[in-house]
Amino acid sequence: MRIDMELESYLRPPDTPMPPYPAKVITLTTGSKMVVRQVFRDDVPKILPAVRPTLDIPRDYYDVVGARLYAELLAWYRYRYRDVFCIVGQIDGLLVGLVNSRMYSQETGISLHTLAIERGLRIGAHLFAAKMEHHIEYLGQDEVLITAESPIGFRRWMIEYGLELREGQHELGGAAPYGLTREMYFNSKHRLVAGERPVPQDLMEVARREIIVASEAAITEKILGAKRRKVL
Amino acid sequence: MKPVVIAGAGMIRFERRDEDSLVDMLAMAALKAMDDAGLGDHPVDAVVVGNMASGLFNHQVSIASALVDKLSLYPAAAERIENGPASGGSAIKHGYQAIASGMADVVLVVGGEKMREVIGPRATDVVAYMSQPEAEYIYGVSLPAMAGMFARLYMKKYGVTPEHLAQVAIKNHAHGLLNPYAHIQMKITLEGILTHPDSVVGNPVVADPLRLYDCCPVSDGAAAVLLTTPEIAQTLGKKPPITIAGIGQATDTHALHEREDPTDLKAVTIAAEKAFAMAQCTPGDVDVAELHDAFTILEIAESEHAGFFAKGEGAQALVAGETTLGGKLPINPSGGLKARGHPVGATGVAQAVELVWQLRGEADERQVANAQTGFMVNFGGFGNNVIALVLRRDS
Amino acid sequence: MITAYKCQHCGHVMYPYHYRCVNCGAREFETFAPSDKAKLLTFTIIEQLPWGFDERGRVLGVIEFTNKVRAMALVDVDADTDEVKLGMKLSVHWEPVRDNYGEKVYGLVCRPA
Repeated sequence: MRIDMELESYLRPPDTPMPPYPAKVITLTTGSKMVVRQVFRDDVPKILPAVRPTLDIPRDYYDVVGARLYAELLAWYRYRYRDVFCIVGQIDGLLVGLVNSRMYSQETGISLHTLAIERGLRIGAHLFAAKMEHHIEYLGQDEVLITAESPIGFRRWMIEYGLELREGQHELGGAAPYGLTREMYFNSKHRLVAGERPVPQDLMEVARREIIVASEAAITEKILGAKRRKVL
Repeated sequence: MKPVVIAGAGMIRFERRDEDSLVDMLAMAALKAMDDAGLGDHPVDAVVVGNMASGLFNHQVSIASALVDKLSLYPAAAERIENGPASGGSAIKHGYQAIASGMADVVLVVGGEKMREVIGPRATDVVAYMSQPEAEYIYGVSLPAMAGMFARLYMKKYGVTPEHLAQVAIKNHAHGLLNPYAHIQMKITLEGILTHPDSVVGNPVVADPLRLYDCCPVSDGAAAVLLTTPEIAQTLGKKPPITIAGIGQATDTHALHEREDPTDLKAVTIAAEKAFAMAQCTPGDVDVAELHDAFTILEIAESEHAGFFAKGEGAQALVAGETTLGGKLPINPSGGLKARGHPVGATGVAQAVELVWQLRGEADERQVANAQTGFMVNFGGFGNNVIALVLRRDS
Repeated sequence: MITAYKCQHCGHVMYPYHYRCVNCGAREFETFAPSDKAKLLTFTIIEQLPWGFDERGRVLGVIEFTNKVRAMALVDVDADTDEVKLGMKLSVHWEPVRDNYGEKVYGLVCRPA
């Protein structure tokens, strides 16, 4: 499909230079190692199939989160969303979770979404923390605005980080926005942010080589729990 | 008293079960136990349901009557028995009493709870309703908080370490992987939950010194046993009957601060002694045990208070592998509350179901060799109402 | 402030109220107030609180007053910075421990003495 680059120049947002997120590895309770690394526009087509199955899962608002995340990733890929970053978690290459967020201004970040595909391992908590780590420590921002669609995670973040209610609307236009400041982040960091750097080379190679996405059936099963055999 | 046997046992997998109502789950487990017993059209005289909080979690009460209806077992007598997390054990006791007294011949005992209908902190609050209202509840105490206060003292007094607690969780998770009915199907490692720095986030503090992996999950589920007389069990003839050889129960002060020695689980000791006395045997005769590990510290403490190990030696026995499958006295081969899960009212009955399977030789990969005598502790409140049972396969 | 009860028959001290003495079963008690000083017998730091509390790091403990009354209490310290130790000496106050949809619920609040 030929793109009219002259028209594109009106529609594409300028990209603010963003320092990269240095990858880290997290040891999970199962002993597995999760590589947490930034992915970029070109990786979006590989990631979208992981998000798609969530559109049919209303439980815990996976469908709303998934639909919006899908749209955000697609818009980012097609140069219609400004200053977005995306961090993924991979275990042996398999995509187990992802988060996205963007810079609203030099000082303010907007947290978008968190999707955990493997459940029960606090992957959502780890990746949400990585997102905040990037905003505050590597992008050098002063505050991140956060909201949520699902009650489970939201209340936890609000209490664990000691977030403060903010005026106005979050970009997602849902529940009120809460702010995470640099001070709150550094107060909570030892309790909430994990990981070691640098990532051992062999693990990094596997993660970079391919973002393995489980089948739609497998992802649905991971999120909803295994279909119980009739006898159980 | 007339003798009472368990002729049938069954349960449904414990987990989050959004699609099944509480009474649905009770019915599914009940049918399994009835079919396991080969009951057929034989009438059921009474239905006893063990459940703690159906009114609060599920906006439904008189659920034993509802269950009779769901199963069309009229005109069976029916009641719900409530004893907090020991509702299941108490329900079995009531079923036993009905048959032992001669008032009933066939009693269906079903334990169940549907906790995931409410959000986590609300479930924590409902469970906290067991605490003393003016002296404890108002402070925002939770069961994990009470266990945390107990654990701090117990660990100090007997030298129990965070690593010991972690080993309880690791053992029970490993056992859970062998149990298709267990809620948690996940192998965990010492590095992952304790020694690696990342475990601060992966295994966060819930109520210090207890962490996430020291606490059982919140589950939905149900389990059932079919009690009857040895004669009827013989005519049904489907499975070897398991005798309820001993039952013991004891209470203690409501408020934790009124326990003379807060590390002394007197109700466990007394309940166990009574159960062994009735069964005319000792802890040394037990081949397999299901203890109430709502918190990892409790498995160690109960193993001592029930008389299996001297005070302060339970942790050593655990580390030496004695309480793991393959060891001298496997504890919680099912995965315990930690891995099998803890739908509050279901647990006591699920403990009995596991023991029945073990004693019959039907525990598949979890089988304890030549298990003849089984023991369980079902711990109500925070140890202020405890029920213990001895089950036996008579050769 | 809480009311403690001393059995007139055997002298056993109880809180909260029981209709029969915890120790001897007798039914007559004299009431008295606990002292305003206590020591910390055990404690926990709760990170996950029940519904109704939008906080973390709440320290609850079992205390023993200098006149032998025991109770559960809130320990008013910053769980992240202050040191809570078994046996530490506390001053005890009667203050709000919980907010019940606008209604303040009073209870025992301790601070390091």
